[in-house]
Amino acid sequence: MQDTQFFEKYGLINGVWDEMYNKDHVVRDHYHKVIEYLSKESADDLHKKEELAKRLFMTQGITFTVYNSGEGIEKIFPFDIIPRVITSSEWEFIEKGIKQRLTALNLFLKDIYHNQFIIKDGVVPIDIVYSCPHFLREMYQLNVPYDVYVHIAGIDLIRDHDGTFYVLEDNLRTPSGVSYMLENREITKRLFPDLIPHCGVRSVTEYPSILYKNLQALSPRQVSNPTIVLLSPGIYNSAYFEHTTLARLMGVELVEGRDLVVNNHRVYMKTTTGLQQVDVIYRRVDDDFLDPLMFNPQSVLGVAGLMGAYRKGNVAIVNALGNGVADDKATYIYVPDMIRYYLNEEPLLKNVPTHRLSNPDEREYVFANINKMVIKKTNESGGYGMLMGHAASDEEIEKYKLEIMKDPRNFIAQPTISLSAAPCYINGVLQPRRIDLRPYALCGPDGIEIVPGGLTRVALTEGSLVVNSSQGGGSKDTWVLA
Amino acid sequence: MLSRVAASFYWLSRYIERSDGILRMLKTNYASSQDSIAGFSWEPVMRIFSGADTDLIRSLGNESRSVLKFMVNERDNPNSIINLITLARENARSVQEHIPKDLWQCINEYYHTVKEPRIATGLRKDDPIGILDVLIKEVMLYYGTAEITMERGQARSFMNIGKYLERAIQSIDILDVKFGPINTNPDLLLDITYWKHLLQSIGGYELYQKTYRDGLEAHNVIEQVILNNDFPRSAIYSVNNIQRYFDRLKNNSNVNDYREISFQIGKLQSNIKYSSVKSISQIGLHQYLTGLRDDLYKIGNSLNGYYFANS
Repeated sequence: MQDTQFFEKYGLINGVWDEMYNKDHVVRDHYHKVIEYLSKESADDLHKKEELAKRLFMTQGITFTVYNSGEGIEKIFPFDIIPRVITSSEWEFIEKGIKQRLTALNLFLKDIYHNQFIIKDGVVPIDIVYSCPHFLREMYQLNVPYDVYVHIAGIDLIRDHDGTFYVLEDNLRTPSGVSYMLENREITKRLFPDLIPHCGVRSVTEYPSILYKNLQALSPRQVSNPTIVLLSPGIYNSAYFEHTTLARLMGVELVEGRDLVVNNHRVYMKTTTGLQQVDVIYRRVDDDFLDPLMFNPQSVLGVAGLMGAYRKGNVAIVNALGNGVADDKATYIYVPDMIRYYLNEEPLLKNVPTHRLSNPDEREYVFANINKMVIKKTNESGGYGMLMGHAASDEEIEKYKLEIMKDPRNFIAQPTISLSAAPCYINGVLQPRRIDLRPYALCGPDGIEIVPGGLTRVALTEGSLVVNSSQGGGSKDTWVLA
Repeated sequence: MLSRVAASFYWLSRYIERSDGILRMLKTNYASSQDSIAGFSWEPVMRIFSGADTDLIRSLGNESRSVLKFMVNERDNPNSIINLITLARENARSVQEHIPKDLWQCINEYYHTVKEPRIATGLRKDDPIGILDVLIKEVMLYYGTAEITMERGQARSFMNIGKYLERAIQSIDILDVKFGPINTNPDLLLDITYWKHLLQSIGGYELYQKTYRDGLEAHNVIEQVILNNDFPRSAIYSVNNIQRYFDRLKNNSNVNDYREISFQIGKLQSNIKYSSVKSISQIGLHQYLTGLRDDLYKIGNSLNGYYFANS
């Protein structure tokens, strides 16, 4: 079955875990049905499917806008039609690992903004916390509903050469991409009729209803039908499509900062019938822009006085403010210790070994082995400001080193992890490309729930290890088998 | 409903209606420019729909293809089709979760169609009527989809108020501009093709033929465009519909806000209803039309203040 045209050129990459083939070049069990289906298709059929996928994304307006010389250009987030398949046992492990990690991170945030036991017990160094720009003193001693800080988390997972899962990043602020998880599945349903039920793929459609249920539970007013809004920066935000999708699926109002006002420490939205009180805000605006009176005074995306209403407990904000202190890449190093400290358990999901460049010994070691390292800024996301040691020129490295020396706290280094590869349909044949996985975990008063699936991001350029959409990455539908 | 959302519905609908009016106008005017009548001028069209000044109009030299390009593709013309659909789409995008997916896709497709290179090249090289038809079809698709899929609620009321307000203003503008030159050139009163084109460009020629058996006469044209209840582009028909859809907002409104605007609409409605061609000519057509236009603008401004929280 592997003799068909698509598979001829599919070679394993040396020292890389392949999701489809095992090391003897035999198809893994969980990919069997997909491969069987594909083998029956002609090159022309697959090409047509690829075109159909593009057209569906375009006509449905699932696009983001790139502004060049004033004229907005609509682009689709590249989508690879071959699904990524995860077995039920792999998923069970991932689910347990994320729940454990998120539980500890929530406890950490509560602790940091209250008694700071973890600092006093010397588990997490005080300078890591207080030097983090996302640590908000405004959150100190503020009680959030049910002690939940991270209501929505998108924890990025990668697989090393032996298939072990590692956590690459904890995204605890406003993780994005979940609409692609939902839309990719819808598109795949159209592309491969009957294949999803045939393979026994678990559904992801509950996501909006779980999220809605959790948001509803946070309402400070004891009313049967609290007003929940999704706060978006507006139509020019690159994730605007996601905001409308979620608002539509949950049936909540999508608002912008200018739709809200604060009066007497309560938040209201302006409607055609006058002001209506808002109980829960699912915000997709960063901390810094939420309240011009408290944070960035230039911001017009937020609402003046919002923080006051929040402190009074008159409105719930999701995710809580100040979460950045927990997903800072320098804090990341201590997450396994947090799990041991708060839960008295061994961490299930491993951390990628990480060096703090503020530590002179570690810095020296990193500089000596810079070709095997990836250096990242602690507060950047989206793949910006990274140095890939194996690909950078000597000049770039020297320049980067100077930058590091200016403020070593802001940098960490990790050995280059080779990321697993999965088959992608590129130029008419299947080719291996590197992928990661971002499952979306929802934390409410009843505990943590993770819909079986997530966003698989893929580095579409041959040999590339960067999967971020801003850096030429694409995505795949992600299947978790029952 | 959020004030901003209501405003977006209203404007979305105004922009689409305007683009529809312009496209139909362009189509008939292009056809008449091919009729080889001496003295055909694009000037009224450009004045009504783009606010172009004399210099600009002269620079295009009454050349049909340059005018079409200016009216359809020119980014510098605030009322070019491409700008109108861009604005309509941005409004639609900001209420995306309130409109049926079908309708959004329709607007999105209209936008992408206007941007296709074949539209620009077609206007330059091929048969412009064919190209305009492609676009008109997109608008019709929008109207059909809106009719079938829109929930019969507040959103649709705001859309229809916007649509009919825009339409009333358009018809009034067309009448005003077309009757303008008559003061200086009374011969036009007897020029049959002149009135025929006016009626055709707002789709009222067939109705006119049925209603008036005694040929094309200016006062009949005035009567049809302002006072005919059955003509879907007449001022009275549009204002009746503004009233009808505004009335539906009653249960979802502040009593005082509602009363204020309801009063303005009612007053305008009676003003038109109890006018006749005779009473209009006593006031003077231009004067009368200016009065109507001001009242319509006032209604728009009041909506802005009372319902869209933009005061």
